[in-house]
Amino acid sequence: MSALYEWIRTELQTLAYAGDLPLAFQYGFVINALLCAVLIGPILGGIGTMVVTKRMAFFSQAVGNAAMTGVAIGVLLGESYTEPYVSMFAFCILFGLLLNFTKGRTRIPSDTLIGVFLSISLAIGASLLLFVSAKVNTHILEAVLFGSVLTVSDTDMNVLLVVTIGVLAVSIPLFNRMLLASLNPSLARVRGVRVQLLEYVFVLTITLLTVASLKIVGAVLVEALLLIPAAAARNIVSSMKGFVFWSMAFSTVSCVAGVLVPMQLDLPLPSGGAIIMVAASIFAVTTLIRATAGRFREAEV
Amino acid sequence: MQGPAIIFERVGLTLSGVEILRDVSFSVGSGEIHCVIGPNGGGKTSLIRCLLGQMPHSGTISVQWTDGKTTGYVPQILDFDKTLPVTVGDFMTMISAPYRPAFLGAKASARVMIESALARVGLGGKRRSKLGSLSGGERQRVLFAQALIPTPALLVLDEPMTSMDEVGAEIFVRLIRELSDAGATIVWIAHDLEQVAVMAGTVTCINRTVLFSGPPAQELAGREAQALFAHAGALR
Repeated sequence: MSALYEWIRTELQTLAYAGDLPLAFQYGFVINALLCAVLIGPILGGIGTMVVTKRMAFFSQAVGNAAMTGVAIGVLLGESYTEPYVSMFAFCILFGLLLNFTKGRTRIPSDTLIGVFLSISLAIGASLLLFVSAKVNTHILEAVLFGSVLTVSDTDMNVLLVVTIGVLAVSIPLFNRMLLASLNPSLARVRGVRVQLLEYVFVLTITLLTVASLKIVGAVLVEALLLIPAAAARNIVSSMKGFVFWSMAFSTVSCVAGVLVPMQLDLPLPSGGAIIMVAASIFAVTTLIRATAGRFREAEV
Repeated sequence: MQGPAIIFERVGLTLSGVEILRDVSFSVGSGEIHCVIGPNGGGKTSLIRCLLGQMPHSGTISVQWTDGKTTGYVPQILDFDKTLPVTVGDFMTMISAPYRPAFLGAKASARVMIESALARVGLGGKRRSKLGSLSGGERQRVLFAQALIPTPALLVLDEPMTSMDEVGAEIFVRLIRELSDAGATIVWIAHDLEQVAVMAGTVTCINRTVLFSGPPAQELAGREAQALFAHAGALR
């Protein structure tokens, strides 16, 4: 894959030097970030509609924060501090699956349980960071928390590509079943849907996507990209088709603009922050449209 | 088509230490309309969930299929966020096309099937309407429409008339008759005793256990039923 990335970078850089593309395309790291953006954007936007429908916003945030603990564990275990994927995936998957397992076996409300797991994870992460700070400069962790276009490597792109393909292969054929399971589990079971198994599959999907998106959006903000584009789309649509496609479009525009705009305007912003600010602007506009457009006001009645 | 006969034998259900059902035994004949009545909290819905294989019950429930194992289920209510951008067509696509995501829309053949099912419940032309914008009765009709795809050999209805208007109730009664005439077995949790008397081939009254079970003309005139009639409100 590295040869393919190199070819794309060379071609785009040639176009940028010739003046056919913005100057930012002269930098390989910008092209890397944009390649990630066009992968992350549609997939997070699409899966985000399911997160919003299934009301799993808080869960996705918890998984994002758990990744920080995963990084700390990875560094302590001797993994590369820029790419501690084994520890991040392992810890986040364990976190997500254990949380879902506990949710199915207790009467504690879901949000309370997620809060408990999140607190435990953060406590472990914060404790381990003390030891990590003795090994590496903790500023490196900022890239994990808030995203950085400068640090996206070929390995990061490979991880993201594999996860994206895997998530698409699973979530497209299971989309209807997952949706039906959240609308009416009893009816879904009669229709042959394995509701509990799909819960685990969905938890795993969000976890993998969150970890794979960390480098570009950051642990703290990846959850926002699962939510804001879907919330913005929900403001202006009345069907699943509109919901999914607008959410994907908003998410992709946010990712691409969040990478390119700071470069073009020479703003020293972390990519994650910029991406979310673009997404938030889109959300503000769609909220305004919903509040003022006649057809939506009518729909509220 | 020939619907299955169903035999409930000493069915019991205890959840978190609370006994929901005890020693429930009765049978439903093949192709019969069987109504389940009883007071609120008496375990009717739990019994249906046991029948659908969704509850860890004791005893046995034997469903003796003769034709294809197609079960249609109409839940009591579709409790969901009404602001969700899900159209009637999206919902029906979710049901009828398990592997084609609803956001791609139904294939032409599936669309014909969906339109036909919606027309049968009097909602032809509502495919593009938002599910959340329908009235409670209309949503209930959508739930009935999904149970018609594919044509069920066993139809299980959990108080489908709860929020139903008069037009909807007439449609439901007509469709239940049509399916029964075609040979389907109908298990129907009902609360309108007059309707039960007219429609049901057999009726079972549940309040944790079976209070009575048999033909409605005979059972609804009995002393126990009369006592329940006196508190008709409690049957809901």
